[in-house]
This record gives sequence, structure tokens and C-alpha cells, in this order.
Amino acid sequence: MLSRLKGNLVNLAAGIAVCTVFALGTGGAQADSNIAGKKVIFVPISAGITLTEAWSRRMKEHAAIYGYSFDIRDAAFNTGAMSELLAKAISEKPDVLVVHNPTVQLLARQIKEAEAQGIKVLQLNLQSNQPSSAFTGANWERIGREIAEDIVKECGAGTGKSGEVAIIPGQLTAADSVIMNQAAFKVFAAHPEIKVVSNQASDWEPEKARQITTTVLQQHPNLCAIFGHWDVHTMGAGKAVKDAHLEDKVIVYATGGGDDKTCQAVEDKILDRVWSYDADGQGRDAADLVDILLQGGAAADHSMLQIESPLKIIKLGPTYDKNLCFKL
Amino acid sequence: MLEYIVMGVTVALVLVFSTFVQGFATFGNLRVIASNSAALLILSCGMGVVILSRGLDLSMVAVMVAGAAAFATLSNAGYSGPAVVGLTLLVTAAIGLANGWLIAYVEIPAMLATLASAMVITGFFRFAVLQGEFLLLLPNTNPAVVFFSKDIAPGLTAPVALMIVIFVLTWVLLRYTTLGRITYAMGDNFQAARLIGLRVRTTTLMIYVYAALTALVAGLVIAASSGTVDFRTVTNGSLLFEVILVVVLGGIPLRGGRGGMRNILVGVALIAVLRNGMTLFDLSSQVQDLLKGVVLIIAVATDNYFNPRDTETDTVGDL
Repeated sequence: MLSRLKGNLVNLAAGIAVCTVFALGTGGAQADSNIAGKKVIFVPISAGITLTEAWSRRMKEHAAIYGYSFDIRDAAFNTGAMSELLAKAISEKPDVLVVHNPTVQLLARQIKEAEAQGIKVLQLNLQSNQPSSAFTGANWERIGREIAEDIVKECGAGTGKSGEVAIIPGQLTAADSVIMNQAAFKVFAAHPEIKVVSNQASDWEPEKARQITTTVLQQHPNLCAIFGHWDVHTMGAGKAVKDAHLEDKVIVYATGGGDDKTCQAVEDKILDRVWSYDADGQGRDAADLVDILLQGGAAADHSMLQIESPLKIIKLGPTYDKNLCFKL
Repeated sequence: MLEYIVMGVTVALVLVFSTFVQGFATFGNLRVIASNSAALLILSCGMGVVILSRGLDLSMVAVMVAGAAAFATLSNAGYSGPAVVGLTLLVTAAIGLANGWLIAYVEIPAMLATLASAMVITGFFRFAVLQGEFLLLLPNTNPAVVFFSKDIAPGLTAPVALMIVIFVLTWVLLRYTTLGRITYAMGDNFQAARLIGLRVRTTTLMIYVYAALTALVAGLVIAASSGTVDFRTVTNGSLLFEVILVVVLGGIPLRGGRGGMRNILVGVALIAVLRNGMTLFDLSSQVQDLLKGVVLIIAVATDNYFNPRDTETDTVGDL
């Protein structure tokens, strides 16, 4: 037993010595530009949708340039599986974790755990309540506010319209829906002529959005605007408006990654005004941030690095250009 | 009897909603309810036939989406209209046959066989046909979209017309054909049906093919109206739950052998009215699911009370 204790002490001393050497060797603000061989894991809500595929494409390009590995763990819209996949990813001790949060609370604890273990976490487009090393994505407050202000301009006092608005979030607890609704309701509070007649979540599904819209249009035939929180499911709502032959009366607002299908929908008058955050550009921003994090970049006061995605407004008219949308 | 209770509840809900929700008791709202429930009724017809034979087809929603995906992919690839329809029918019938074969000849319990086939179908179509995508957006020029957007007669849209056709077809099938009689016999007492020489295995095959084909029709209706083929409908699970809920609530017990089209109509009426009213009340989807679950528990408990299992109707391995 004594010999085992001695053996342990020797190991401990050796470990401390090795660690000291490393700490002294890499101390100071020296950026490490050789990041080949490092490990990055991306955990999106689901692979196989244009949004996440656009992000993955750019991040894979950067991984190929520098020679670090980039893995995607697909949760296929299953939030339970997502927690497990994230836990497994953390246990593999990657250098950077890229996380796409389905709600503000679900992965917050695990993100904290990862940061505590020295894994840098980049939150992509949908943030959680837990700050981490970096975030890049749309400024949901700005999108919610700008769309609400546009709705007030089109449907508010003096326009002669009914002022009735239907909001179709994806899920009421998803980060984007929470923040956009907060911002929009703040704007509407100052304009009492605007009435929100429906705020039903569609679970990101176009068919559910269509059914909700058909029902709401039935009860509120003078509906002025629909504000959908994702362009894909809002297309279902837009189709319902078109089927009711109200596409010239109801303005359909949406926000999304802005791929070529969105432009097609705008041309077909299924969507009227889309605030696009350009998923392709976001992919490039995320990839740049991953490179920076791998090279040791951090904010001077260790707060969260934030890069806001620029917005493009896609609508028919003089500002319309097919190139506003990207093709996957 | 459960179906009278459910009919009563539906009438009560209609009265409540008509009083408290403005815009509910209008002809326009009735049309909305009909068009929103078209796919549900079509699926319930297929599921009703299967449950009557004391089976269960958990792969219906997967077949629904896979069939629509096959249709969309083939039309996008440029095949002619009749070719697309023929190939899609063939693929769907083949899936139904596979299900039926597993249950009738390999003798795997229906619930397990169809659960497994649902996963295989979803995985295969997402992987091989959609190349990993979850969503397929249908262009406006797609023949299904064009057909389903038209009005067959003033006030009668194509989905509602199809719903009526499938409903009548299923009714005729169950009441006036040998297949229907054997289905009821199988549900009532499978071993006795087999022993007296009824062709239970062939009937099982045909029942699951019928279920698969009704699923295909429902899939085309949804795909055309929403403009997308969405595999998350399978993984979300709530549509399958609703279809079984409709059949059970309508009064067709899960052990089969009893009931008919009137039960399916009663079940769909309750769910459609409930869903429509809850949307007009602006209840969140979580609260809606909660209420539907509560309604199911009450229905099943009442069903158990009115249709207790006795030595005649209870058999080993029952669901």
C-alpha cells in the first residue's frame, strides 16, 4: 500500500510538473494560428433544413482550409435527443461547440458546464439564457420591432384598415419568438388601434400554420397583417391567404434565412415582406468566429463576443432583386 | 354507448362555442372545419378498417408523407402525370403489402410490425429520396397542387370532395363486400374466422394495402394545400395520436369487430369542432394538446366502463 501511495505521489508530482511547463510555455496573449487537428462539433436543432445546411456548408469550408475537424450531431427536431447529443459532445472534449438552442432554457445548464470545462461555446442564431464565449445571429429585438413598426405603418391609425394582426410563432418558448413577441407587443402597446387577434404557435409546421390561418381568416375576414416567425411555416399561412383570395388585402410578414425558395414565395405573392438574416452570411460569420475562438480569441473582459447578422428586406417593388436570396 | 356520449359532447361544444365565440356558427366556418379535417377523416377511414380487423397501423402517417414525397420527387423529375400517379400508387401499395405480409404471414403483432415499418419508411425516404432533407417545398406548377386548389363545384373544394368519396367508398367496402364481412369476422373472433375457412391472410393483406392507399390520398391533400411535404409530421407524432383518438372516441373499440362509418364521423366531428373552437379561443398549442389528452383519457375510461372485457371478448395479447 505504501508503494502504491508513493507511486501516486510520483504521478501527481509529474503531472504538476508537466502542467507547469505548459502553463509557462503558453502563458501570455500569444495567438496560436496553427489550429489544424482541433475539434469542432455542431449541434443544430436539425440537419437537413436549408437554414442549418447553409451554416454547415460555410463552417465545413473553413474547417477544410485550416485542417480542423467539423462534426454535425443531428437531433432531428427531437429536443430530448438534443440534450443527450450535447452531453455526449461535451464528454468528447472538443475545442469549440456550436449550439443552436431550441428554447432559452433547455441547454443552458449544459452550456455552462461546457464553458466551465474549458470548451468554448458559440451559440448560433437562437440564444439561451446562459451567456457563453460567443454568439452570432439575428437581432430578434430589431426584427420584431421593425416588423411591428411596418405593420403599424400599413395597418394603424389613418390607413383605413381594421388594425387586426395575427402572429404565428414557431414555438412560444423559442428564443426568437420570445424576443420578437416582446419587441412587437411593446410597439403595439403604443398603438391601441392594432389588435393582435391570434398568437398561436405552429410548431414550425407549414400545415399547422395553414390551418390556424384558415380558421383565423374565417373569424376575422378584415385581417390586415400576419406576422410569421419563420418563413418556411409562414408559407403555409400565405397559401391559406391566397386560397381565400385575400393576397392583396392581407400583408404576410416573415423572417428567415432567405434562400431562393423565399424569393420564389415572394414572387408568387405567398409571402409579402421578408426580413432575411441571410443564413449563408451567418454561416460565414459563424465560421469566422470558430476560427477566432480556436486561435484563442476572447473578449478583453471575458464577456460574450457578439456578432449581429445584417438584415435584408425582401419585398416586391423597386428594391426587389433575386440576388437578395442565396442558393444552396 | 360511447358514440352517443361523444355525439352529446360534440353538440354541447357546438352550443358553447356558438354562444361564446363570434364567427363559429357560420357556413363559412363549417367549410373551414371541413377543409381542415379532410386529411384527418381520410386517414381515419383507413385506420378504422384496420382497427375493425383487430389490427393497428402505426405506419399510416409515415406512408402518408412518404407517398407525397414520392409523388413530388417524381413530378419534379419530369415524368408525365399518369406515370407519376401510377408509380406512386404502386410504391404505396407495395408498402401496404409489406405491412400486411409481416402481420399475416410472418405473424408479427400489428403494432410492432407497423411501428418498425414506419421507422424504415421515414428513414429510407429521408435518406434516399430527400437526401437528408426534412422538408420538400412543392412548386405552384406541381400537378397535385393545381388539382387540389381547384373547386370541383361551387363551394366544394377538391380535398372535401375526395374526403366524401373515400368515406363513401369505405362504407361500401365494409357493408357490401365480402372483404368487409371478413374484416368484421376477424375483429370479432380471429381464431374462429380462421378455423371456419375465411381467407384471413389475404384479407389482412388487402386491409393494409387499403390503409396505405388512403394514407397516400391524405398525404396528397396535405401536401397540395400547405405546399410542402414535411417529414416532421411523422416525428412529431401528434397526427397519428389524433387518428387513433378519432377512431376510439367514435366508438370503434381497439379490439375491433364492432362499429362502422358513423363512428368515424362522430369521432372526427368531435376532434374537428374541438380543434376549431380552441383555435378561435386562441389557446396555445400546448394547452390544446393537454385538452385533447384529457378528452382521450375520459373517452377510454368510459369505453372501458361500457365495453368491459369479459371472457368472450378478452383475448391474450390484446392491445
